[in-house]
Amino acid sequence: MRLFIRQITNKTFTVLTGASVLLLTVILLIILGPMIWRGAKAVVFKDTIEFRQMQLDLYNRGNPAGLQREADEAENCRKMVYETIDKFKHGIDVEELTDRTKQIYRQFGKELRYKDITGEEYQNIHSLARDLRNKLQAAFTSNDKKVIQENIDYILQYRLDKDLTDTTAAEYFTLAEEFRQSIENIDFNKRQQYAASLQQVEEIIFRLLGPRPGVPLPALTMDRYGATRWDLARKLLDKLLWSQQWIQQQAGQPLVKVRVSRAEEFAGTTLEPLFGYVENNLDKILKPQVTFYWQYFIDDSTPGHYFGGVGPEILGTLLLTLLAMLFVMPLGVISAAYLVECASDNMAVRIIRMCINTLAGVPSIVFGLFGLAFFVLFLVPLFGGPSKPCVLTASLTLAVLTLPVMIRASEEAIRSVPQTYKEASLGLGASGFRTFMKVTLPVALPGILTGVILSLSRVAGETAPVLFTGAIALGPLPKSLFDPTRTLSYGSYDMAVGDRLAMMVPHNQYGMVVTLVLLILCLNAMAIVLRARISRKLRGH
Amino acid sequence: MPMSALDNNERLDPVRTAVTLGRKSDAASDQKNTHCKCAVITSENFSFYYGAKVGVKDITMEIYPCSVTAIIGPSGCGKSTFLRSINRINDLIPHTHIEGKLLVNGHNVYDKNTNLVNLRQQVGMVFQKPNPFPKSIFDNVAYGPKLQGVKNSSQLQQIVESSLQAAALWDEVKDDLKKSALALSGGQQQRLCIARALATKPNIILMDEPCSALDPIATAKIEDLIDKLQNDYTIVIVTHNMQQAARVSERTAFFCLGELIEYDRTVKIFRNPGKKQTEDYVTGRFG
Repeated sequence: MRLFIRQITNKTFTVLTGASVLLLTVILLIILGPMIWRGAKAVVFKDTIEFRQMQLDLYNRGNPAGLQREADEAENCRKMVYETIDKFKHGIDVEELTDRTKQIYRQFGKELRYKDITGEEYQNIHSLARDLRNKLQAAFTSNDKKVIQENIDYILQYRLDKDLTDTTAAEYFTLAEEFRQSIENIDFNKRQQYAASLQQVEEIIFRLLGPRPGVPLPALTMDRYGATRWDLARKLLDKLLWSQQWIQQQAGQPLVKVRVSRAEEFAGTTLEPLFGYVENNLDKILKPQVTFYWQYFIDDSTPGHYFGGVGPEILGTLLLTLLAMLFVMPLGVISAAYLVECASDNMAVRIIRMCINTLAGVPSIVFGLFGLAFFVLFLVPLFGGPSKPCVLTASLTLAVLTLPVMIRASEEAIRSVPQTYKEASLGLGASGFRTFMKVTLPVALPGILTGVILSLSRVAGETAPVLFTGAIALGPLPKSLFDPTRTLSYGSYDMAVGDRLAMMVPHNQYGMVVTLVLLILCLNAMAIVLRARISRKLRGH
Repeated sequence: MPMSALDNNERLDPVRTAVTLGRKSDAASDQKNTHCKCAVITSENFSFYYGAKVGVKDITMEIYPCSVTAIIGPSGCGKSTFLRSINRINDLIPHTHIEGKLLVNGHNVYDKNTNLVNLRQQVGMVFQKPNPFPKSIFDNVAYGPKLQGVKNSSQLQQIVESSLQAAALWDEVKDDLKKSALALSGGQQQRLCIARALATKPNIILMDEPCSALDPIATAKIEDLIDKLQNDYTIVIVTHNMQQAARVSERTAFFCLGELIEYDRTVKIFRNPGKKQTEDYVTGRFG
């Protein structure tokens, strides 16, 4: 009976340990999976012609001739979009029309002065023009179709007037004609609504297709191009086709948000075909293509990370990490050597040990503040340097952060060197120092490298220590040790709490985080391979 | 005490069997070899304490040059303690103190201004478990000479070769001196440690149970080596194995519970021990 129970407990133990490992793996996949999937979209995604144009302009990448051909093809499709919008706009955007009328009047007046006519003729023609202008304005601003028709008919009478043909004033007739056509299908009660909705539609088209050809380029880089990613374009298309409105479904109940098809909203107007056209021809307009944007890891980015990659951030993180390890490795190993070899077991040494162990658990923000107070404001100015956050102070702070881990790992490693090696070395007449350098240290090296591996991950990913001591979100690459730098960790934080701008590029938010994880994995892998090599050599292969 | 199954007369005489393996005769060893650069170890009422516990007490003996002296005794009797005091390797252990004098080559080893580096280069040590450094064979043997300041690579090469030959290892490793020392077998590693100790050109070699971790064939090889080396070096060997002591040594010291019970020629200790304790030990009645 006892044997049976023992067998059962053995089996249960095996099953439980296996299940817990499985659970850990599943949790890890659930956490890492979506993050890596979304971050990968920063590098492998479907781009659009806007993206390729941007790459050519900003980074000089791509085939200009081929791109021009594509742009011309897309242009033809886009024309239809712009024309539809313009036609509809003229029907309801009366402000623009009235401004145009006034402009025509002024220009015509100037033209008239240079004509070879008598003063009386001048007055007649001028007053006619004024009359036409007023009637046209009345037509534009009126909400009554009958009034508009009357005015337009009145204006069109004078179409063939010899004084007005071939002059600027002839435009009055084209305007009137166009206006009559465009108001045919418009419900005037809805003009206000149309105006508001049209503004939204125009905004979305601007985000989708970029600035109109011929219009002066906007100041911000991000406004100069349309949707650079196909997924963003699909999102914008959705916003184009469906608007969100608050509707009172039941009296006395709060308003409910409802999706309304814009095509229905503009039903019967000249704008209606726009939506169907854009939906069906979006790929011709934007020309999507799957691309492998590996330069993401090299490129600089535009402000706010709207376009571009994380090159400077990667460089900054690498620089800080390597400098910090450079500071901490000798310091940690020497301290550990002292604690193991030279320190006697008295109260002072015990207190030192306790302090080191406590420091290992101090929150990283405290180190950040310490770094600010000590390195930035005190130590660097003491040696004559500038009192501002820089690469030097940030890496010193990170080195202090990771010192306890390094000391602990090194101490364990040095302690675990077999006493026999030491005895053999001393027995041959070596001094304590020679024994340490030539025998103990090489044998302890794998353990010390374990400390390095543990430190690397922490140092590369820490945000709080570099917050005040050397990280910036926006700025050039550091040119010397006394310049601040951008880092992946701080950049991730900046993107995460950023404004709406950051929300528009979620692929960049994830991309930066995934890049950080990948960077740490690479550094760890290199250190692990190095440690394995040294271990193998020590074991005699 | 469990008695031997054979009676007194028929019992196997370890000395007689050992003597046939080719021990030097007493007369020959009495003569001092003229080419021997020998030294003497003298212990005068030497005591060693681990804190309050006694390691060895009141040891007075003389170790003669160019010979093999064996120290035997049951476990925990202080043999290794005494041996390790000779080159002061015991300093690694904290909270120890000594009484009495221990002279090596005429100088008190525990004197305040003893040059430990010099001492340890004159008194080589081979440990129980072979402990070559995790470096190449060449680097292991060259470690000592490099400490002494030899930088010339051809000189080092020559020292390494002669040490490996003296340790009877040269033929087995001469093809690849850069191979890691840890890739050798146990017996080869121990011979490497002996070569390493020989490379500093010591006068005395201390061996702390050098064969206890080795198989019989390797043990035989090392015993042959000891036989060869004793012409030029003073060897003190601590051993648990009485038969080994009988095989290799000229003189034997019997320690028990930290005290030197008897110290005399090996032949006498094993055939005709003076003290009852010695007889009980060598005949296997205890220990």
